[in-house]
Amino acid sequence: MIIKVAKLARETKMKLPDLITRPVGRLMYAKMKDKLSIIGEGETVVLDFENVKVIDSSFIDEFLVKLIIDAETADFYIKVRNISPVSEINIDSVFNSYSNYKSGRLAVIREELGKNNRYYIGPLTEHESDIIDYLKLNHHAGVEEISRFCGMETGVLKKILEELMRLRVIRRNDGEFVSV
Amino acid sequence: MSASDRTLIMPDRFRDPYIFENIVAMNDTVLNSGGVIDMSRVAFIEPYSMLSFLLMGRNYLRKRGERIRLVNIPLQINQYLTRMDFLSRDIFSVSETIPDSMVLKRNISSSRLLEIVEIPNKERQSVNVIASVIALFRKRAHGILKFWMNEEVVDYFVTVISELCQNIFEHSMDTGFLAMQTYKTGNENIARLVISDSGIGIRKSFEQKSEITYSTGAELIEKALTTPISSKREFGYGLCQVNAITERLKGSVFLRSDSSSLSALYNRKDGSGKNIFLRNDLPQFDGTQISISLSS
Repeated sequence: MIIKVAKLARETKMKLPDLITRPVGRLMYAKMKDKLSIIGEGETVVLDFENVKVIDSSFIDEFLVKLIIDAETADFYIKVRNISPVSEINIDSVFNSYSNYKSGRLAVIREELGKNNRYYIGPLTEHESDIIDYLKLNHHAGVEEISRFCGMETGVLKKILEELMRLRVIRRNDGEFVSV
Repeated sequence: MSASDRTLIMPDRFRDPYIFENIVAMNDTVLNSGGVIDMSRVAFIEPYSMLSFLLMGRNYLRKRGERIRLVNIPLQINQYLTRMDFLSRDIFSVSETIPDSMVLKRNISSSRLLEIVEIPNKERQSVNVIASVIALFRKRAHGILKFWMNEEVVDYFVTVISELCQNIFEHSMDTGFLAMQTYKTGNENIARLVISDSGIGIRKSFEQKSEITYSTGAELIEKALTTPISSKREFGYGLCQVNAITERLKGSVFLRSDSSSLSALYNRKDGSGKNIFLRNDLPQFDGTQISISLSS
């Protein structure tokens, strides 16, 4: 499912190009929940931020963070695209704060390479980052292949892969791993 | 006592937030004055001083139930205050109005500013005002940020305006004011965004958060600016994000709350590499006043 966030904002009567403040985030999240009611199990939801220039931390907290948390319980995946450089920084800052103060971490996959030169936003480790890059470029890979690429023993690697799956930035498909 | 004896003469200390401390030190004198202020010595006013002075006037109005009357306002100061919508806020009264022919025109060339806007303390109203301010800022950004202009800098300032305005309705328990202007002082161009309120201040807003420890007001301001703490939630992003953006833009932050202040100067460092400077034991001035500046 592809959600044009700007279109969703217009439907919610929000002023563009900026999506800011908690109330706006809450309204957009409620609207989004309606859309997600028809989503299939394990489906990927692409949030397209084309024509959205700035999303601030309050909006991110009320909209994106909630959707990522929902994705775990409702079994779907989130991917973002057309994120502006400033929005990328704001998302990264919110995810970092979340990770510092909560027991878990947050991350989101993006379709295009970001200003951070990564295919994701969030506080991931270098190993996790390498695995995501590898899967983005090679589409899918098994444990042995990734292990050879990373130079890591499979036992350790499996734990990292499990964590990336828990973060819902990669998924398993026919015994292999793929990027969301 | 004659009217002239009761007139308080304002010194020319409206040039930057540091010099304006001289005026803040007069806060009690203003509050207990006869309500007439002579502005004849004031030669220049920048946005931070203007908004803090506006808060002083509002405090007087709230306490005394009447407006301070400004007298002997130099023409250029009167023109500036009129242009910034300072005098139309109904907080001060003036003895002299300037003729229409002398009023600064509101056209594209004089739009390197955002006039004073009141930020409400009610969430719904505030959200609409913030959206309008940001729409106006985007329209004028090419003029305001002429010396720093690229689209990313505009987007950074949109984030800063949004975060700081939200702090007013989320934390201050009072309405606040915003203004922005680019001006020249000597050879330096300065873009200054100011958001100020006379609400409960940072210290009081963290009163219920016993897990956040600090020894001085300035130390708490530093924590609020450099770590994602929040007085309402488990953690927060607003001020911390504002600080990160200002650092990225190599700008400066001046944040004053109650009787403490913090200056973060990311465009310069002292010999030890330090760029955050704290002050305590300043004269009490209610609320939180923030200035974000870029210079070139």
